[in-house]
Amino acid sequence: METLKLEILTPNGLIFDGQAQSVTLPGEEGEFGVLPHHASITTLLSAGVIDFETENGTTESIVVNWGVVQVDETKVVVLVDGAVAIRGENESDVAKALEDAKKLIHDVSDSNVAIAAVSAKIESAAFRLV
Amino acid sequence: MANLKDIQRKIKSVSNTQKTTRAMKLVSTAKLRRAEELAKRSRLFAQKTNELITELSGRINCHKIGGISSRSFEIIEEPKMVDIVFVTADKGLCGGFNLQTIKAVKALLREHKEKKIKVRLRGIGKKGVEFFTYNEVELMDAVKDLSSAPDVARSAEFIQSSIRDFNDGIIDGLHIVYNGYKNVITQELHVNKILPVDVDDFDCEENVQSSMVEIEAEDEEKVLDSLITKYVEYNMYYALIDSVAAEHSARMQAMDAATNNAKEMVKTLNVQFNKARQEAITTELIEIISGVESMK
Repeated sequence: METLKLEILTPNGLIFDGQAQSVTLPGEEGEFGVLPHHASITTLLSAGVIDFETENGTTESIVVNWGVVQVDETKVVVLVDGAVAIRGENESDVAKALEDAKKLIHDVSDSNVAIAAVSAKIESAAFRLV
Repeated sequence: MANLKDIQRKIKSVSNTQKTTRAMKLVSTAKLRRAEELAKRSRLFAQKTNELITELSGRINCHKIGGISSRSFEIIEEPKMVDIVFVTADKGLCGGFNLQTIKAVKALLREHKEKKIKVRLRGIGKKGVEFFTYNEVELMDAVKDLSSAPDVARSAEFIQSSIRDFNDGIIDGLHIVYNGYKNVITQELHVNKILPVDVDDFDCEENVQSSMVEIEAEDEEKVLDSLITKYVEYNMYYALIDSVAAEHSARMQAMDAATNNAKEMVKTLNVQFNKARQEAITTELIEIISGVESMK
């Protein structure tokens, strides 16, 4: 299976750096997916969830509040302002991450519809874990 | 005899100073570790952001892409007024750390004066601000408590007016001068040309072959504008945290040197003290002996 290199960076450090099979990003103009050999593109991200399938097939979700993504054929570099990874060893960890993620989204968006849409996505991502 | 007492007093005072400097060194070491960690984690992000912006700007200039009204990517031939933002520490006792930045700013001011470019000086950090105020150099802005406690929101707010003025055409350039962290024993002075984006290092030939960058066309302006704003804000914040790390490393070094000097001084004073004591004993003995001699 071919993979692409995915880097997710925040001002406070690297959130993810590794190989991924596919990435789904919350673009400013709607969600879009990236597979290896994608055409080069640079665009903005809005508040939402980045889903990606790692090398060994597991899906991970990272919630971001603002970002810019640079895609070329072999790699995806995502620069974001704030990010929370939805992952954890047990249910309480996941629940905490969920809280943080929701807070992050609430801080940037004042439209209830947007918050609700993103929240639903976060919930479903968390649901996969537990 | 008074001499002996004097020396003793001096030894005491020097060793007290030594205690203080040693404590200050330990404090700086602890603070440095934290600041260094923060700067290190942000470094990658700063690099990537700058790479992205330089690449975008380089491509726009190389391919002469028209229709972009953002001034950030233009090469401004004859700037009339520029902003210079400098970052120094709030506290002294850190060797030449602040002075280095001040010197660089002075050189930059001179350079701009020769080219007849007006400069608006904006300062962060008490030491630098005090220096320029004392020397009657006009500061447009002076923030005195940001450099010891960098804060994303406050630094963004500070730099916002420069970005706005640049976009409105009031200023034609933005420089950030600060003394950054290189490693524990060295600091590195940065004079960064932030706006318009510096494309001097961008090689058109080399990059013409590589894959295209495509920006979602609908809102090109919006993408570029918000990117530039983030880029400038982030550069400002990074300058602040890098400067804090450098400040602590400089202070650690300065205090280490001071402790060593104090140690040296105590040593020489001890030798002096012993000599003086020996002298006193000898004189006393001579007095006694000559007294006895004269009695015979």
